[in-house]
Amino acid sequence: MVAQNFIRLAELTGLIQDTLDDVFEGKSFWVVADVTNHSFKPNDERHFFSLVEKAEGSSALVAKVDAVAWRTGAGKISVFEETTGQRFQNGLNVLVRVTVSYSPEYGLKLTLIDIDVNFTIGALERQKQEILARLEAECADYIQKSGDGYITRNNRLEFGLAIQKIALITSNNTAGFEDFVHTLQTNHFGFAFNIDYYFTPVQGENNSHLIRQILVDIYKSNKPYDAVVIIRGGGSQTDFLIFETFALGQIVAKYPIPIITGIGHQRNETIVDIMAHSPTKTPTKAAEYIIAHNAGFEELLLNARKLIANRSQQQIWSKMQSLDPMIANIKNYSKMCILHHKGYLEHFEKVVALMNPANILKKGFAIVYYNGKIVVNAQQLIAGEQITIAMDGARLEAIITNKTTE
Amino acid sequence: MGEQMSYEAAFEELKGIEAEIVNETATIDVLAEKIKRAADLIKYCQTKLRTAEEQVNAVIADIETA
Repeated sequence: MVAQNFIRLAELTGLIQDTLDDVFEGKSFWVVADVTNHSFKPNDERHFFSLVEKAEGSSALVAKVDAVAWRTGAGKISVFEETTGQRFQNGLNVLVRVTVSYSPEYGLKLTLIDIDVNFTIGALERQKQEILARLEAECADYIQKSGDGYITRNNRLEFGLAIQKIALITSNNTAGFEDFVHTLQTNHFGFAFNIDYYFTPVQGENNSHLIRQILVDIYKSNKPYDAVVIIRGGGSQTDFLIFETFALGQIVAKYPIPIITGIGHQRNETIVDIMAHSPTKTPTKAAEYIIAHNAGFEELLLNARKLIANRSQQQIWSKMQSLDPMIANIKNYSKMCILHHKGYLEHFEKVVALMNPANILKKGFAIVYYNGKIVVNAQQLIAGEQITIAMDGARLEAIITNKTTE
Repeated sequence: MGEQMSYEAAFEELKGIEAEIVNETATIDVLAEKIKRAADLIKYCQTKLRTAEEQVNAVIADIETA
């Protein structure tokens, strides 16, 4: 049998529309829900997704409504992504302001007109604090809280004198990768670097384990790396959750080679930054950090060379100083020595001259010879004996005529 | 003077000769010989110092132009 009282579907949907309009028109609601079935049409800036609520402690849905964000809502989502660093994506728990509308063709729809930034920042921050607390509790051997930061095994490592052999973890052909390599290769000091590239996606929370695996591989390679560098940058300011996981924070903290990060972001440091040896803000800054470290080492070398050169100059100078008086002494004293000896000789000469009989004769003395011998004692001389008297310029033969003894 | 002689050894010998001459313990017989030796030692020491100085200066110049 055919019921007589029926209406057309359009009449029914019209009735639904009128009823809903009566209740919801001009009203908006702040609701907490999870995002699912998300897609984004960049050309006309539209987000299509569903908002769902799950039963506590299970994945069973208790509510689900399709939703859309037109230009206004998409703009808000854009600001949200930039401010939170969190991509608007499936699984995200959000506080959104929606209007309720019904169209006969498309059914019930929520329209997103605003999204609460602080709700998500708070949630992310809570999540981050939970992970940090877990790292501190479960990895106490190599992670300890210290003031506002953390002391980890990795950030207590010391760099070698120069950083040259580098393991670079990056995604291929991104601006950040090019910035880093270009900055290192064109450094004006002319430092050379030996870089091994380990390419991996650096977006998407679910790719976190890939980075962890690469760190394991680098460690197992036993290559003598001076540092491991993790960079990401040049792209969107969103989706940093890949660097906010417990597993990655743990391996970075424990890692035996110093890790330098250059993860482009404006917000607070990620967990990887906090656990790493040397966090920097961008890939370029990471490269500059390495160059500065090496420049510091070169300066040390140059200072040492300068010091050595100066000290040697001083030493040579002081040796020259000590040589000079010695040369003077040897010169002067050897002359003096000869002079002294000359003096002695002159003295002897004078004495000899003084004692020379010829000189004595000149002074009016005479020498008496008897039998050819000089007479020094007159005892043997008696009157009548012949003697010779030698005087200056003449010899006299004489006979003694008289002798008187005194 | 062999190339093997160190600056310090030459300098020590020179000090000995100096002392002998200053104290006039060198006899005239050996004085000339001593002075000749001293002259050789002085020349040797000065050459060594000058060579070292040139090398040091070269290194310094190298550092300053580096």
